[in-house]
Amino acid sequence: MTAPLRFEGITLPGHQSPINLEVPEHRAVLVLGPEASGVDALPGYAMALDQPATGRALVFGEDIARLPRRSALAFRRKVGYLPAGDGLIHNLSLQDNVALPLRYGSDLSEREITGRIRIMLTLLRITDAAERRPADATEEQRRRAALARALAFDPALVILADPFDGLTDRAAAELLELARGGETGTGSRRTVFMTGQSAPQLLEPRIEVRYRLAKGELQRLS
Amino acid sequence: MARSIAWLGALARFFFRTLEAARWLPRAGRRVAFRVLLKQVWFTALQALPIIIVLSSILSFLVISQAVRELGRLGATELLGRLIVVAIVRELGPLITALAVAGRSGTAIAAELATNKVMGEVNALEGMGIDPLHYHVLPRFGAVILSVLGLVIVFDVTAIFSGLVAAGANGMTGQRYFEIVLASLSFRDVWLTVAKALVFGVIVGMIPSFHGLAVRGSPTEIPIAASQAAIGSILTIFLCSGLFVLLLA
Repeated sequence: MTAPLRFEGITLPGHQSPINLEVPEHRAVLVLGPEASGVDALPGYAMALDQPATGRALVFGEDIARLPRRSALAFRRKVGYLPAGDGLIHNLSLQDNVALPLRYGSDLSEREITGRIRIMLTLLRITDAAERRPADATEEQRRRAALARALAFDPALVILADPFDGLTDRAAAELLELARGGETGTGSRRTVFMTGQSAPQLLEPRIEVRYRLAKGELQRLS
Repeated sequence: MARSIAWLGALARFFFRTLEAARWLPRAGRRVAFRVLLKQVWFTALQALPIIIVLSSILSFLVISQAVRELGRLGATELLGRLIVVAIVRELGPLITALAVAGRSGTAIAAELATNKVMGEVNALEGMGIDPLHYHVLPRFGAVILSVLGLVIVFDVTAIFSGLVAAGANGMTGQRYFEIVLASLSFRDVWLTVAKALVFGVIVGMIPSFHGLAVRGSPTEIPIAASQAAIGSILTIFLCSGLFVLLLA
């Protein structure tokens, strides 16, 4: 079966040797690396927001970078993407941010979207902050809203860039559980790919595969 | 010179990419874009009404007061109508309105889009499968065109009524004033005014978005983008105004 996400011969910024990485289905995979190590470029390569010097990233077997623009945009809606920081639209409230992909990319009625958003906000525990603009919300609330937005279409694959930055261990664990989307007989319901500088120890049991980038090479951690 | 040509080429490409993007804006996306458009109309047109009314009233009052006096001395008050229609309604109305919108909203659009780019919002939109041209550029483009057109109408109507006050203060009756103005107003003047408003709207809708989205990611580029947007818009508006006079007047 095709892995939901595969990096083939990707050269990271500042490195010479290409790396290969496969993210298996129903697994949470984390790639760790120090700041400016180039690890943070992987989510952008996967979503074809940036182009690597060499190699390609395949999402569900498809190289998004090679798709025509219109198809590439439609394809990205199949993937939940949380950019570093949060990428929230600052002149929209948190709930409008969560609703944005649904309003833009689905034919759901406003009533259906409102119902779905209410469930998402409750799940992410940000109902109280729903009306706030990102600037008036806490970092944790912003991150929760950004994750809710990434999960709006209930994607099978979630790509998270630096998802635990500035979060407490407990909040990070909670967000990872939500990103995994529950458990099945074969692992997490969703496939989760994450990058970051570090991850709280509390999360270790919930991350099946971990790598560290050292001297330009990916080392699998036990 | 080479830089100006490169700038024009990049701007033209951006303009055609935006038009192309408009063709495939998804049905659901139209609702989202329409909301952004309404917000932009609120900011660009409705909030700018007071400044446009004040500018138009003062300008028209000053010009018509002087004109009624001077033309009256020469016994040529009939020319007053042509003066109002050509100088104020057709030339200064669209020009001053577009300059005001470029200075007020153009810089704001450029700064806002540049900030969005620096804050990672544009990248996040792409990641969600939303074309930034659909979400950021098209609604603002449409809103600015509508706003400039609406504000030019407000400017011209205000100018005509302010001229009435000025003419009245200098001894001309209201009936005589309207006779002169209406006799001078032709269909050509109306379509030229509308054409200018549309062209200036396109300029103020496009150049600030272009500069706003051209930043690469450093916060220091934001004020530069706003300044380039203002300068680019103002220069292009004057150039086009000159072209209109050369080709169509």
